[in-house]
Amino acid sequence: MTATSSTRSARRRAPARSARARDEARLGWLLAGPAFVVMLAVTAYPILQAVYESLFNNRLTAPDDRAFVGLKNYGVVLTDPVFWRSLWVTTFIMLVTVLIELVLGFALALVMHRALTRLRGLLRTAILVPYGIITVVSAFAWFYAFDITSGYVNTWFDWVPGVGPDLNWFASQGTSLFVIIASEVWKTTPFISLLLLAGLAQVPGDLEEAARVDGATPWQVFARVIVPNMKAAIMVAVLFRALDAFRIFDNVFIMTNGANGTEVLSLLAYRQSISRLEIGLGSTISVLLFLCVILICFVAIRLFRVDLASARGEK
Amino acid sequence: MHRRRIAALLGLALVAPLAACASGPEGPPTLTWYINPDNGGQVEIAARCTEEADGAYRITTSLLPRDAASQREQLARRLAAHDSSIDIMSLDPPFIPELAEPGFLAAVPGDIADDVGSGDVVQGAIDSSTWRDELVAVPFWANTQLLWYRKSVVEAAGLDMSAPVTWDQVIDVAQEQDLLLGVQGAKAESLTVWINALVASAGGQIITNPEAPADEVELGLESDAGREAARIIGTIGSEGLGGPGLPTADENASMALFQSDRGSFMVNWPFVWSATNAAADEGAVPADLPDDIGWAIYPRVVEDQDAAPPVGGINLGVGAFSEHVDLAYDAVQCIVSPENQSAYFATNGNPPSSIEAYDDAEVQEAYPMADVIRDSLDQGAPRPQTPYYNEVSSGLQETWHPPSSVNPDTTPARSTELITDVLRGERLL
Amino acid sequence: MGVLSKRQRVWWTVITVLVLLYALFPVASIAATSFKSSAELNSGQMLPSSPTLANYEQILVGSAQELFLSALRNSIGISLISTVIAVVLATLAAYAIARLDFPGKRLILTTALGVSIFPVISIVTPLFNLWRTIGLYDTWPGLIIPYLSLTLPISIWTLAAFFRQIPWELEQAAQVDGATPFQAFRKAIVPLAAPGVFTTALIAFFIAWNDFVYGISLTSTSAARPVPAALAFFTGASQFEEPAGAISAAAVIVTIPVVVLVLLFQRQIVSGLTQGAVKG
Repeated sequence: MTATSSTRSARRRAPARSARARDEARLGWLLAGPAFVVMLAVTAYPILQAVYESLFNNRLTAPDDRAFVGLKNYGVVLTDPVFWRSLWVTTFIMLVTVLIELVLGFALALVMHRALTRLRGLLRTAILVPYGIITVVSAFAWFYAFDITSGYVNTWFDWVPGVGPDLNWFASQGTSLFVIIASEVWKTTPFISLLLLAGLAQVPGDLEEAARVDGATPWQVFARVIVPNMKAAIMVAVLFRALDAFRIFDNVFIMTNGANGTEVLSLLAYRQSISRLEIGLGSTISVLLFLCVILICFVAIRLFRVDLASARGEK
Repeated sequence: MHRRRIAALLGLALVAPLAACASGPEGPPTLTWYINPDNGGQVEIAARCTEEADGAYRITTSLLPRDAASQREQLARRLAAHDSSIDIMSLDPPFIPELAEPGFLAAVPGDIADDVGSGDVVQGAIDSSTWRDELVAVPFWANTQLLWYRKSVVEAAGLDMSAPVTWDQVIDVAQEQDLLLGVQGAKAESLTVWINALVASAGGQIITNPEAPADEVELGLESDAGREAARIIGTIGSEGLGGPGLPTADENASMALFQSDRGSFMVNWPFVWSATNAAADEGAVPADLPDDIGWAIYPRVVEDQDAAPPVGGINLGVGAFSEHVDLAYDAVQCIVSPENQSAYFATNGNPPSSIEAYDDAEVQEAYPMADVIRDSLDQGAPRPQTPYYNEVSSGLQETWHPPSSVNPDTTPARSTELITDVLRGERLL
Repeated sequence: MGVLSKRQRVWWTVITVLVLLYALFPVASIAATSFKSSAELNSGQMLPSSPTLANYEQILVGSAQELFLSALRNSIGISLISTVIAVVLATLAAYAIARLDFPGKRLILTTALGVSIFPVISIVTPLFNLWRTIGLYDTWPGLIIPYLSLTLPISIWTLAAFFRQIPWELEQAAQVDGATPFQAFRKAIVPLAAPGVFTTALIAFFIAWNDFVYGISLTSTSAARPVPAALAFFTGASQFEEPAGAISAAAVIVTIPVVVLVLLFQRQIVSGLTQGAVKG
């Protein structure tokens, strides 16, 4: 009796529940829909447009010569050493900055994590300053400091072998990249260290304590307890910064504008489409750059099993 | 009936603001003049001409970026969009053909063309305003590089500066006295300026058929002239004669080098004269430095052949899509009047394209080298006049930078190959 | 850890000084440049020996006033509007994600993630071409729309994380206590959600304020040119002279609001950034 009544009520409730679910889904999409549509409109649409444009030979100052060329632009770009050099430089900057930032960011995060409340505010405020500063401003700050005519770095550091009044930082690849990477690291380490700080907060304190009681050295605590417990946070931080570093543009544009083999992919795309007004070639590089980003994501997710959604709390 | 009225009202509502924008019933039409950055001179001229127009038009100015390539970038992409808000443009000469070829520049009216051709305008400026034998822009001011020297250095070397000197002499003096030369080796337009002047001074041309379509352009770098140019730049670069700052030296940096204790010679635009005087007044450089500075025509490459100094400056173009082409040309005529040009020279240091303007007392007072500038302009050679100038110039910068890597045996060939490939659409820049 | 030993105190002092030096030195460096007269620019020293306000005069009341102030106006206006739009849209979306169960939730979050790592330059070329055709080139909307691709995804992530932590039962409790649904929402939820929304707005504003690629590619006059792009337009007494002083002065001025906001809201920004990013 009770059984039948309960099945009946369940049967009666099922359509009701699905109606509610439908209502909820409708409301959900009603609320989230606009944001979703806007996001698609500002990215998916342009990239499709870029794919289409990349099939044409189109120079804006010669509007009559526009012609369909198929995949020729891809052939031109992919066989050009300039493209591969830019790809290599971009990857190099990405790897080096992320590596340095991971170490430095961890140090800053530990400092913030361990600091007394009294100091914490001060330290966080200081660390947030580079985060908030305009990248172009930071690029100018570093450029003026290192520039051979107006800078003071050569005067200050002339005791370092190789540094002296005659060192022109922006005249060769290695030194240019050094300054570019330094300014990129300075500006974006706070971001990575804040992500790591959030990860540190998740490491159970009693585990650390237990390890210490068992006689583990600080390094062992760090390597065996802290790091494994915040792996997700580290992976997310690294992936985000890597992709951000891969699109580096502002620093290079201000400091060398691509001279001495410091041209990065974004700058190469900019030069073709905005400076040369060769929309076809520029779009081609844009599409390839986009594919690179997808590839990095794919590799990261597959290889390192970064589960972004779960790391961000969405199951 | 009802519906049609609504449609009409709607239509009116849509069109009314546009119409108001276009005809501007409240006042005279506004002409927008896109100016390159200066010390405020063009804004002043715009105000003066607005006043003189007495209600016929009003000129407002809009600023372009600092370097020539970015200026071109801004204008070219707006013109390619058929932008009607571009009435008057301050154009850097080498980029004019690119805008003239697709018809982005409104035709110069006959009477103004006659005025320009009547003999008061220096030849270099006329050449740089001409594309396919037609005047497409109006010369406004004309710039040229001079050879600046430290009198003390020249005296010690026993060099007679009243006679033309060659690059080799200049290099020798710097080497003997262990001094530095002020040249622009940065990977920028100024490097192209230098290369072009050297090639032209040696009697060559960077492009031999400037009016050809992209895939037929032929370069003249693989010649004695091209190799001589490469030899001079390579020598200065590899011997360290431009100082450690050479690979990043723009006009400003080479001036700083010239003003320093190791300065000897410098090729640079006349702005250095007012800038050095200002620096001396401020105490940034020794007060007696200006007295030690002399000037002459650009050095020769070949001993018995006139040098072809760089010419630059600004010519005024009128946008083909402007709604007030006639008024814009009226305004241009006012802007380029000799009085405005000489005032502009005296206050902003930009030399006139009008020959008459050089005789102005104020000009002669502020620029004792005014006559040399005028002669240099007459002698000067423009950079290649081609619609693909941007590609040519970037291609040169790609292959001739840094200066120490320039080699007469390989560089001209490498840059010929790169530029031809780029123009054929087979390479990136 | 309440009382520090003497050694610990020394260590912490050293660490604090090092962190401060790291974070503030480049700012101090460009600030020092901004007070140099043109005579001192090449002195090879960091600090000016006779500081001058001439650079500030040039950009605020002098020859570069037009250029700088209009860029500042554009930057503030465009960044604010795109922040407001992003935060409004993101609030709605995040509310739905945090409170409702509907298919596609994950899709929205993944899309936001995808958009936030999208290479900006890939969007610029097609947008540049499209904007020219439909007349959005060099206008405020022409920048506000692409800025949404920067501000919207991070706003959604941050807010969704914030909203997930709000004890929504409070709303029902208030309703049980006799409040109307709206009252319940306003009295119980808004005070809890407001700080999250505010923090998100702050972070989004920083991102829009920082943009350079869109700024130089999609504008060409003072009608829409933002500050980072305008920095490339300053000039000295002639077009060949480098305006390091003026650029530095402008850089300092646009940095002041950032520093003030950070000083006032460091706690909120940190929690916003960390909550939006990693929550297990």
